[in-house]
Amino acid sequence: MEKEAPGSSGSSDASDILDMRDEEGWEDAEPDVEESQFISLMDDEVFTDMMQMLDHCKAKHNLDFLEIRSRLGLDFYGNIKLVNYLRSQVHSGKPIPSEITKKDFDDEKYLKPVLEDDAVLFTLDDLPEVVEIHDEVNVQDKGKGVERDSGSLIARVSELEEELRKVHSQFSDYRDTVKTTLDKKWEEPSANGSAAPKEEPRDDDSHYFSSYSYNDIHETMLKDAVRTDAYRDFIYSNKALFAGKTVLDVGCGTGILSMFCAKAGAARVIAVDNSAIIDKARENIFNNGFADTITCLRGKVEEVKLPVDKVDIIVSEWMGYCLLYEAMLDSVIWARDKYLQPDGLMVPSHMNMWVAPIADPDYISDHIAFWRDVYGFDMKAMQAGIHEDAQVLDMPASTLAADPFPFLQLSLHTTAVKDLVFKRKWSGKLKKDIDALDGFIIWFDSFFIPSRTEVVAEDAKAEEWAASGKSGNAFTTGPGGKVTHWKQGVMLIDNTKEKPVGHKEGEQLSGELEYAVPEDNSRALNVSLTWKFESWQKENSQSWKMR
Amino acid sequence: MVDEQMAGMAPSEAHYFNSYNHHGIHEEMLKDRVRTETYRDAILHNAHLFKDKVVLDVGCGTGILSMFAVQAGAKKVIGVDMSTIIDKAREIVALNGMSDKITLIRGKMEEVELEYPQVDIIISEWMGYFLLYESMLDTVLYARDRYLAKNGLIFPDKATIFMAGIEDGAYKHDKIDFWDDVYGFNFAPLKEIALAEPLVDKVTFDVLKTDSTPVLTLDLYTCTTADLAFTVPFTLTARQKDRVHALISWFDIEFTACHTPISFTTGPHAEGTHWKQTVFYLREDYVLVWPGDKIHGMLENKPNEQNKRDLDIKISYKLEPNQTKAEPKRPAQISQGELTFKMC
Repeated sequence: MEKEAPGSSGSSDASDILDMRDEEGWEDAEPDVEESQFISLMDDEVFTDMMQMLDHCKAKHNLDFLEIRSRLGLDFYGNIKLVNYLRSQVHSGKPIPSEITKKDFDDEKYLKPVLEDDAVLFTLDDLPEVVEIHDEVNVQDKGKGVERDSGSLIARVSELEEELRKVHSQFSDYRDTVKTTLDKKWEEPSANGSAAPKEEPRDDDSHYFSSYSYNDIHETMLKDAVRTDAYRDFIYSNKALFAGKTVLDVGCGTGILSMFCAKAGAARVIAVDNSAIIDKARENIFNNGFADTITCLRGKVEEVKLPVDKVDIIVSEWMGYCLLYEAMLDSVIWARDKYLQPDGLMVPSHMNMWVAPIADPDYISDHIAFWRDVYGFDMKAMQAGIHEDAQVLDMPASTLAADPFPFLQLSLHTTAVKDLVFKRKWSGKLKKDIDALDGFIIWFDSFFIPSRTEVVAEDAKAEEWAASGKSGNAFTTGPGGKVTHWKQGVMLIDNTKEKPVGHKEGEQLSGELEYAVPEDNSRALNVSLTWKFESWQKENSQSWKMR
Repeated sequence: MVDEQMAGMAPSEAHYFNSYNHHGIHEEMLKDRVRTETYRDAILHNAHLFKDKVVLDVGCGTGILSMFAVQAGAKKVIGVDMSTIIDKAREIVALNGMSDKITLIRGKMEEVELEYPQVDIIISEWMGYFLLYESMLDTVLYARDRYLAKNGLIFPDKATIFMAGIEDGAYKHDKIDFWDDVYGFNFAPLKEIALAEPLVDKVTFDVLKTDSTPVLTLDLYTCTTADLAFTVPFTLTARQKDRVHALISWFDIEFTACHTPISFTTGPHAEGTHWKQTVFYLREDYVLVWPGDKIHGMLENKPNEQNKRDLDIKISYKLEPNQTKAEPKRPAQISQGELTFKMC
């Protein structure tokens, strides 16, 4: 899959790839309760601020953590050991010596956290440095000038930066250690369930993990601002819907949607994914302090054992090319039927699917006719598959030969798996003269509606939703909107066998559109279309595979 | 037969051969004018070398180079490719009336039987990203040792890898630092992965902040597969005061057997090719360089032990400030590092 090369250097190219300018003040998306909880080192009091907690330990228990730390000159690991040592002494009711020495907590076992998700351990970095007064910025030499002084200041800054870098790398080592321990814990519940994902052949896994496509696909999806913004906007604008609720995220990927939900105030989020990416999601969630709200489960949603019987909301980004190719919608429907409360909410809630005939002589000459003369050779043989396979391309709106036709709506609250294969009628009227009908394109609009009872018209357009004044939000993957990673599904008509005929503006055409799953490959999708102009005796038809 | 061979392969290897089946990659390669036209010129402008010769096309793809060789007067061309694309090549060759001159064989070079014990010329477009990633050079060398006649020719016969340093703040921010703040969340684990893979992308000439230097030249007549694992030193000299965020690499390809030597470059100073350039981001944000500063480095490349089509690349570097010019404002900067990459 060749991605557009955004010019490695061009700042102008790079600047709007991730357009986060429309943040619209989502910083306030935090739930109204504080999320970090600092449990006292010496008793079971809980604080929302690290310094308050340390002050409490000092005032009530005469334990001055900062003093011990600077007295012993503790490094990063030393700090962690000290915290865990104190916690384990307190837990087991053992006394803490009045003058703690390094020997007391020398044992490596103190690297292991005593408390699960101990916020204190992740805030050690932020504690105030015990600042030694460096007199390098000496004023005596004022006459010689600020230059040298600022030079030595800069030098000091780079020293400090180097230290910081070291601390960061130590922290990341530590995080890995913690992760290993926590992983073991998380694996346990699924080990006695039917899903046993840890039998992955090690080598495949590592290959998959480090391969280009691996990071690329997640980067592509996250940087698809149309997609990610729509989920974010819905979740953050409807915090009341999420506050205190239990949410299931089907196919959580990197965990972004789960974190949106947690940040919006969900009491509990269960994130399920069958891919190895979930290990990264777990780390992301942990690093962002949501490990106590979000539970990651690796496996198929049909097979993993959820820690709850019912959920209030299912959020999922399941949409595939042409909406249903390699889509996880079957799994989402299964999860809905099994876990969603009767009055629960699906996010997103509706999909409107569109088809339109296209005429695009430039594309045809660049990619189809091209093969007839390659440096003087005829490579017609290379054309073969082009008309058999549906392609994924972003077509300009100018290629549309007629207005799009809404051929199907899926309402996620009610859609059944059997609705995902269908045959529907479609029609259109040419809005310009064309030399040839080159094919059809298919796309979908995705709607996020905060109420189960709200009706979305079958011909509602996402791009008109905001102006309609209705609740919720929507995005389109059509040629009129900002391009998404889904682009559009393009089905090219095989015009190579006989010379195509032209048609005039205003001519009517109609036919049927069918989605089917081939018997030999349930992952693939077959799209068939029939079409007939009014003046024709007989209709034309062709099928395309997405694979 | 071939499918059985594929079945016996490691998945990654089978994927390599299968991934070439799709049209897109062939369309892209044929539309890479620099590549295709240089090969065409090297072959057609040297008809005197091809006339009545037996030619082997290693990894023939759609068969375009084989057909150029016939146009240049070759007596016989044998094209070998492991991918199913060879079925298309066969159709294409027939359509262009060259079936009697070109024999196409699907299979691995190491396993197929050629009708000629010796060939006069080997042509091959074997280069991958960073010259050596997923490259077929080892196959070409095998074919050379087994089939090439004494004094036979190889098209092309020389490849040189270059390195340089670039200013790339904005894009590095977008590709690497992006993971620090994804919609307000920290995605550091994915940043690690992003830093562990070189980026193949188009670099523009204006961001080169050092001179470029050749680091390795492969002479296809003499090199061996052992030469494909190497550790070579390089030195880059800064042209101006600037930030260097990444080191980049590209390669030049030469056809020295030609009457008038023909070559092309995949560097940022020339028309773009589908190989683009390979970008190695530094772990530190950047190295600050002043004119005349030297970046001394070591480039190490070796095929991965588990999957020989993957590359393990290490680059170490150290800045040597230009001593001849005093730079009073210059901060003491720690400018050295060791970078580890995996291309897979």
